[in-house]
Amino acid sequence: MTRDDILAGVLLDEVALSLDEMACACAVEPNWVVERVEAGFLGDVSLGQITRWQFTSTELARARRLIAVERDFDANPELAALVADLIEEVERLKARLNAAGLPLA
Amino acid sequence: MEFRNYYQILDVAKTATAEEIRKAYRKQARKYHPDVSKEPDAEMRMKEVNEANAVLSDPEKRAAYDQAGSRYRPGEEFQPPPDWGTGFEYSGDGASGAYGDSAEFSDFFSSLFGQAGGGRGAGEHRARGGDHHAKVMIELADAYNGAVQTITLRAARLDPAGHVVTEERTLKVQIPKGVREGQHIRLAGQGSPGFGGGAAGDLYLEVHFRPDPRYRVEGRDIHESLPVTPWEAALGATIEVPTPAGSVRVNVPSGSQTGRKLRLKERGIPGKPHGDLYLVLEVVLPPAATDKARQLYETMAREMDFNPRQGMGA
Repeated sequence: MTRDDILAGVLLDEVALSLDEMACACAVEPNWVVERVEAGFLGDVSLGQITRWQFTSTELARARRLIAVERDFDANPELAALVADLIEEVERLKARLNAAGLPLA
Repeated sequence: MEFRNYYQILDVAKTATAEEIRKAYRKQARKYHPDVSKEPDAEMRMKEVNEANAVLSDPEKRAAYDQAGSRYRPGEEFQPPPDWGTGFEYSGDGASGAYGDSAEFSDFFSSLFGQAGGGRGAGEHRARGGDHHAKVMIELADAYNGAVQTITLRAARLDPAGHVVTEERTLKVQIPKGVREGQHIRLAGQGSPGFGGGAAGDLYLEVHFRPDPRYRVEGRDIHESLPVTPWEAALGATIEVPTPAGSVRVNVPSGSQTGRKLRLKERGIPGKPHGDLYLVLEVVLPPAATDKARQLYETMAREMDFNPRQGMGA
């Protein structure tokens, strides 16, 4: 490959990540992902049933956030999930304020 | 190479206990965590804090760092001693330890601890290389049309002797049409090289849009303020509007007010489904800066029976 080659990647969500790919992308064991999905902290859990083992861009970002909070603050998975929920809620509200053209502060 | 004072970064004494280091790390992590910090350089500071913690929280690395530091004189360029790396044994897998992406650590860190994983030589076992993550900033128009973006990344790689070296590389990346804020582009084989013939890892690029005061993005929908004159709003008009997808002609309905939203279906970011473009009208008054303008305002004041405060009981 030369410097001038143009790399064409895959857009996540058009192609989902498998369990192993998700684990690799987060530098964790697949079991780390399984435990968080089964606990409802990550992925699509409806009616207590795990419906799929495929992950989207949003779930990759959430998994990396969970890892960072667990690691940086020695947080247990429940607390990390709560922090991630709150951060995501703040992001959603900021996006709505922004879309409405309202200042954040 | 600049010597990094990890004790100063974590704001602890050289005699700090493991518990004191843990507490100091948490305090700094809370201050600079990119998700919550308002500090402009939070991400860079968090990397420094992570790096300092990776060394000072590991008794083996801390001892090695203290020994290197004892030979260092302030103001000097730092070079690892010639016999560096002998006399220390690392139980972990060195630079790629439990502290996240070591590719983000400094040259200083690599020079001290880069050889720690050298025992895992080629041929001993086969392993896939690690995945890397980076952020890429694009223009909103790139999401509409697709684009080729040149990005420069710094990454740690193993040289043939098993040493970690930091190198910069430039990639030209196709940004796919329809990409959304926060979405990832996965570039296969662009992460760390594998070991013992294993496959290279992947590179994940997290896409963000450069802030543009003209546009606000919500998923695939775009919101854009559209300034109009009072007569365009009152009488209606067909006007030319620049959008991320190029200029379009838009009908402003008569009787419009500030805040009225015009929806241009499927003029947002392309995809399945396409986003919409919302134009938010903003009536802008011309200044009464000339005699003629002042006369026109005076005529309106005299001739028009209009009280905008009627609803307030005024």
